[in-house]
Amino acid sequence: MTLLTLRGITKRYPGVTALDAVDLDIDPGTVHALVGENGAGKSTLLKIVAGAERPDAGVMTWKGQTIAAPTPREALLRGVTVIYQELMLAPNLSAAANIYLGTEPGHRGLLDASAMRHRAASALADLGLVIDPDQPVGELSVAQRQLVELARALVRDAQLVALDEPTATLTAHEVAHLVAQIEWLRAKGIAVVFVSHRLDEIRRLADSITVLRDGHRVWTGPAAGIDERTLIRTMVGRDVVFERCPPNRKADAEPVLSVRGVSRGRALRDVSFDVKRGEILGLGGLVGAGRSEVARVLAGIDRPDAGSLTLRGQAYRPRSPADAIRAGVVYFPEDRKRQGLVLGMRIRENVTLPVLSRVSRGGLLQAGAERHLAQTAATRADVRPPDIERLAGTLSGGNQQKVVLAKWLLTEAEVLIFDEPTRGVDIGAKTEIHRQIRALADAGKAVLVISSELPELIALADRAVVMREGRVQGELSEPLTPEAVMALAFRSA
Amino acid sequence: MIAHTRSWMTRYGVLAALIAMSVVATIVAPGFFSLANASTILLHVSINGILTLGMTFVIITAGIDLSVGSLLGLAGVLVAGALTAPGLIAVVGVGGAAVVATLIGLAVGAAVGIANGALTAYLSINPFIVTLAMMTVARGAARLVTGGVPIGFPPMGDPHFHDKVAALDALHAFGGGRIPIPGTAQGFPVPALVMLALVFLSALILDRTRFGRYVYAVGGNEEAARLSGVPVRGVKVGVYAIAGACAGLAGVLMVGQLRSGGPDAGLLYELNAIAAAVIGGASLMGGIGSAWGALTGALLIGVLNNALDLMGVQAFWQEIAKGAIILLAVLFDVWTKQRNGGTTQ
Repeated sequence: MTLLTLRGITKRYPGVTALDAVDLDIDPGTVHALVGENGAGKSTLLKIVAGAERPDAGVMTWKGQTIAAPTPREALLRGVTVIYQELMLAPNLSAAANIYLGTEPGHRGLLDASAMRHRAASALADLGLVIDPDQPVGELSVAQRQLVELARALVRDAQLVALDEPTATLTAHEVAHLVAQIEWLRAKGIAVVFVSHRLDEIRRLADSITVLRDGHRVWTGPAAGIDERTLIRTMVGRDVVFERCPPNRKADAEPVLSVRGVSRGRALRDVSFDVKRGEILGLGGLVGAGRSEVARVLAGIDRPDAGSLTLRGQAYRPRSPADAIRAGVVYFPEDRKRQGLVLGMRIRENVTLPVLSRVSRGGLLQAGAERHLAQTAATRADVRPPDIERLAGTLSGGNQQKVVLAKWLLTEAEVLIFDEPTRGVDIGAKTEIHRQIRALADAGKAVLVISSELPELIALADRAVVMREGRVQGELSEPLTPEAVMALAFRSA
Repeated sequence: MIAHTRSWMTRYGVLAALIAMSVVATIVAPGFFSLANASTILLHVSINGILTLGMTFVIITAGIDLSVGSLLGLAGVLVAGALTAPGLIAVVGVGGAAVVATLIGLAVGAAVGIANGALTAYLSINPFIVTLAMMTVARGAARLVTGGVPIGFPPMGDPHFHDKVAALDALHAFGGGRIPIPGTAQGFPVPALVMLALVFLSALILDRTRFGRYVYAVGGNEEAARLSGVPVRGVKVGVYAIAGACAGLAGVLMVGQLRSGGPDAGLLYELNAIAAAVIGGASLMGGIGSAWGALTGALLIGVLNNALDLMGVQAFWQEIAKGAIILLAVLFDVWTKQRNGGTTQ
């Protein structure tokens, strides 16, 4: 009998339909893989299974019974454990305390510590992890913490375990161990659902696969029935919304910025590429592939452990964002609310922040000059309405992004790095931001675009560098196709 | 429009409360409404007002400075010590000693402030902890320097009695002097004038300079400010230096006023300054606050104390009333924010 059935599950967030009438069937003792691009709806689907989000429409049944009002607690008691990417553990508590968090054995408010310790140790041992159950979880590695979460599922007699990208941050050895544990769970009759971007591992482990794209379920079937190329095409095969524009420009022969052998911790390993004036270079790859990390090094936010940067033929070693801005390199951050804007300040104050020295004399601000500069920038970036005295926090997402754009346009930088420039932005603002990015390259700037939206990357970039796990996997120029980018981004480890 | 309403409420709400309180005090407290009493209030408010201005700079960056009260004490004993050092008076004269002592007070305050800022900005230690430690260190140092007893007015028979008294008198012209105003008996107190001048200067810095803009940006969103090229660490060192220098200046004024520097001077003054800054509309979350707000907050506490004094209310009740006012001010702020539906988020 089917353990969990989802029929017509729909979930809408303001401005976006995350899931659109998705069906899913999970059988006991099977491993079911969920695949798709970033933003396809995988994580939302897991949250609905966990009871953390309520669907707007659709029916969920558990062993044939309709689930009336799913909540996280009800899902847990039913036997559902979801292990998120950001592990839900209390780092200062011991492994045993974490395993029994919320279900502590004991009488009259007193904990039965020895039973907890004993059973926790045996659950951990079942998963091949021999640690002291009194050890604080914060001292364990990511892989060990995952196993603690799995042990939590075991002591709760979970019947369905869902894992969101469990292998994204593990070493090859740790992945092998986790895969063995998942196979053991399957043999015990537990249903496993997992999200992964590693196609090799999906094909090795999964019994069946569901492909999600833009909130739709586009394919479900046995893992044996699909080859890797077809799988990739199924994942990305949507209509490209943005037309690829023939570049109205010619890139320089010589690069303006060169990156050579840059490494930083585990995030970046020996990254090399060039950017030229008059071109848009796309940085492709999955979330966590190291694209933003490259951008942060170029923008002077982080410093590399090894490698060198060259700007206009000179060694370039920015020690702070202020250094980078002075050198003519600016970074358009991914998270505009956290990194891009001071929401409590006015549009004027936000856009002139990096260039205040241009509108001040001896440290004193020249109000008229500042207003003029801010007004010019806001109009140029098409902020609507162009009222520069409004607080940035009162603007729509698209307008906030345009304010960030206006700010960076004012710096007259030569190298502009855009990290997810249109995330959470409506289609109108998106088109405008794309137009601006193209205009910058046409005007002879060197532009770097990071986007998890393949159609956007394809539409904008003249050339693409694709990264995976902190390394450059390859460089693509014409013809730039989604399939080619995805093949590099996903290539089996 | 909503945003304007909210800023109107935050900007003028406290001022309205101050005016309302003054009207009530005029009715119920005999002798409240007079020029003489107004200048008394201003004199009493000036030390706390100056500390509040410095504190406001720090609070706008989402920081806190608990060390200013102790720093006032430390600066005060060093100022009193320098002022009554016979060697110094012999070299620079009585007036010169007063000037040197004032500079010492400012320099000590600014130096300790820079240390606070550097520890917070460069070692990323929480400012609450840094300034709590500094509060203890400065108080201990003040007691160490003086052996626990106030420095200042010389005992009869001191070989340099006349010089020392003359030097103390010279500084008293600054810390306790009054500028004659025609038609009044007392004149306008100099410390209050110093405070008002600093309010103008602070308002100018916060509203019209690059540094001031950076102060708001750091408090509003430190990460965004840094990515926009704002020298966040320098700004932090700057605001703690300002708070420290304000504490040093307050120490100088207090020595001038009392003709003595006590090691326990300024005890718990940091809390009064935080209270006044918050009543004046500064947000402990950062990004919000103003020099005029700081003045209004300090005046509100001053008017309350003065009115209760005139009515003969016990000092203990005054403390309770002050606590209630702080809570009311914060509740008022929360209330206006909720009413306007969290417009900044």
